[in-house]
Amino acid sequence: MGMMASKTQAAKPKVGFYGFTGCAGDLLAILHCENELLDIFNAVDVRSFLMASSEVHDDEELDISFLEGSITTDHQLESLADIRKRSKILVAIGSCACFGGPQAARLGYGDWKERFKKVYGAVKHTVAKPFESHPVDEYVKVDYHIPGCPIDRYQFFFALTRLAQGMSVELTTFPVCSECKWNENECLLLNAQLCLGPVTAGGCDSRCPSHNLPCIGCWGPAAEANVASEIDLLKERNFSSEEIVSKLRLFGGAAMVRRFADLLGIKAEEPARKPRPKKVREPIVAGKAKKRASTKKPKAKSRTKKR
Amino acid sequence: MSLNRIKIESLARVEGHGGITVDFKDGELSKVTVDIHEGPRLLETIAQGRVPSEVVSLTCRICAICTLSHRYAALRAMEKALEIEVPPKVRLMRDLMHCGEMIESHALHVFLLALPDYLGYPSAVHMAPEYLEDVQAGLRVKRFGVRLMELTAARSIHGENPVIGGFGRYPSKSELLRFKYEAESLIPDAERGVEILRNLRQPTYMEEGMTFMCTKPEHDRYGWVADRILVSNGQEFNAWDYHKLTNERVVPHSMAKRSRFQDKPYFVGALARFNLLGERLDGVAGEHFRRCYNLSWIRNPMYNNVAQAIETVWALEEAPRIIDKLLTHEEDPAIVAPSRDKGAGSAAVEAPRGTLYHHYEIAEGRVVHTDIITPTAQFLDMMESHIRVAAKNLTDEGDTDNIELKLEMVARAYDPCISCATHLVKVRGL
Repeated sequence: MGMMASKTQAAKPKVGFYGFTGCAGDLLAILHCENELLDIFNAVDVRSFLMASSEVHDDEELDISFLEGSITTDHQLESLADIRKRSKILVAIGSCACFGGPQAARLGYGDWKERFKKVYGAVKHTVAKPFESHPVDEYVKVDYHIPGCPIDRYQFFFALTRLAQGMSVELTTFPVCSECKWNENECLLLNAQLCLGPVTAGGCDSRCPSHNLPCIGCWGPAAEANVASEIDLLKERNFSSEEIVSKLRLFGGAAMVRRFADLLGIKAEEPARKPRPKKVREPIVAGKAKKRASTKKPKAKSRTKKR
Repeated sequence: MSLNRIKIESLARVEGHGGITVDFKDGELSKVTVDIHEGPRLLETIAQGRVPSEVVSLTCRICAICTLSHRYAALRAMEKALEIEVPPKVRLMRDLMHCGEMIESHALHVFLLALPDYLGYPSAVHMAPEYLEDVQAGLRVKRFGVRLMELTAARSIHGENPVIGGFGRYPSKSELLRFKYEAESLIPDAERGVEILRNLRQPTYMEEGMTFMCTKPEHDRYGWVADRILVSNGQEFNAWDYHKLTNERVVPHSMAKRSRFQDKPYFVGALARFNLLGERLDGVAGEHFRRCYNLSWIRNPMYNNVAQAIETVWALEEAPRIIDKLLTHEEDPAIVAPSRDKGAGSAAVEAPRGTLYHHYEIAEGRVVHTDIITPTAQFLDMMESHIRVAAKNLTDEGDTDNIELKLEMVARAYDPCISCATHLVKVRGL
């Protein structure tokens, strides 16, 4: 049956949509494309999109998979490794998948267990083994990152269209500031507001500054950002380091720690860099020995496969 | 062959991963659990030590579908804590954005997630060839809700325009008028959902009496924001006494906490609102309510779908009324600054799927304590109870064909946030 289906759909790339820990906003943003939704389903062969259909094929090879959400349990990690194995191209969508999301805002402080206990008490969960939120690319190779909280539908269309035709995707590398200038907004930094526009990835059409509100950094760090200069500027405006770091970490979490730890004065970020050996393998080894082979080194596996 | 276990592996997603497990022992139903495996986010602890505005941006991201309800609840709680009184135009704008969310969320659930169940399709896309006009009507209503959120909140998901003390920017008169006329023109489309559901036979295999709870707006008006909470046993509480209503606890099979009222499960959502306040509905929605309402509504969660369909009509009638009032306020008020940097505040608003509570404590300008109780976390016990009754009745009668689907339909009727998902349920063999 599967073969027949693939014969009739031969020309269309097979696509899967998956969600991990987050608010489901990136997949919902796709469902919010009422006018284009049927076109999407016509242009590609959607094999899995739980939010839209109960018809799911989760054992097939995929041309492209889109993943939203960060990784926070052992089950998710297994599932991620499986999706990577089955996908030619893997795209992380949304700030949670790309940077760990707001739930990774304290990544690297090493107090996750304490905080977990604070929320859930001493109850032993039987459903899954949870751990601190990490972005997808800390576990498997990610081919493209589409940031946003949530993603912008036009960037998504652009990426889907290009990828479906076998082309590569290049998203904006400039910060929100550029879009803000194009929209001819008055600069909020000049008005002494703590705006993250200069260091946040563009693509949202400078939504907040266009509404007279400072950028909160929800698209994560911009490739071309001059973070050092932004921090200096904000300090000149009498914002404390603490305030600045708090804002930068809220949505840029893991990526901010990774890229700008020195500038941000963050020291205890060791666990963020290597969560895999300790935190993640343990539960799997302790669980099913059989599954170990398939999940132990998702990264290495997918690489070998590509060759 | 007798059943040992019914396992619905993943009630897929929206607010995360959940499933249903029904266990039998010696042919008797022994245990029913709604398992929530959603990954933990610990956002309440992420909020600690942050300034109030950051926390509002953070907590609205708990959910993409109820994002504006979260934001509304957060803003009201923060403003109580910081002693901010917002001008009438701000309150009207918030009520308008809230209409947008109700319309979007209900249209999505009624037309795209619940109807395919009743009509026997895996999705609305599959339903489209046979029911094209209905699917298109549903999409038009949903699209309007999305656009109304974009207009008022700057974005349909995690819009940042509503802030503590007001709005960054207000829509123009002509924009408001255009939305008013469009809302009015969409009422017949929304009524289509009511008509279809009204003419379908509602299954009864899960029926069981329930306790209902919702916010009670002032002046005998129908609405979704209030400081009083009404319970179907006649009791009333202040929203800041939400602890007396919700009694949260943690269970091992769920990452979502559970609530009970006086040690019993309860129902929150459109059905609760209609059972408690339905008499207050006016206009076209009021007519539909009076035509559809019957005594099964107090026992059968499936009627939540009908209640949502009618509430969508009400929201499309309410939005133009709010716009008319908004147009009488010409000046765009500046954002109101807080009068102090410490305090505590709780607020309740009705999210599309039930009462949502936010509570914050602030000291020296920083949030030191956060407590958020979502509708889905409140009604999980009630949902589990209805699924138990359904599983028992169906297996007692030997009616086990498609039993997974029948159980999923009960879960779906609740429109749980883990469920917008629900369509999406993957069933593993018995």
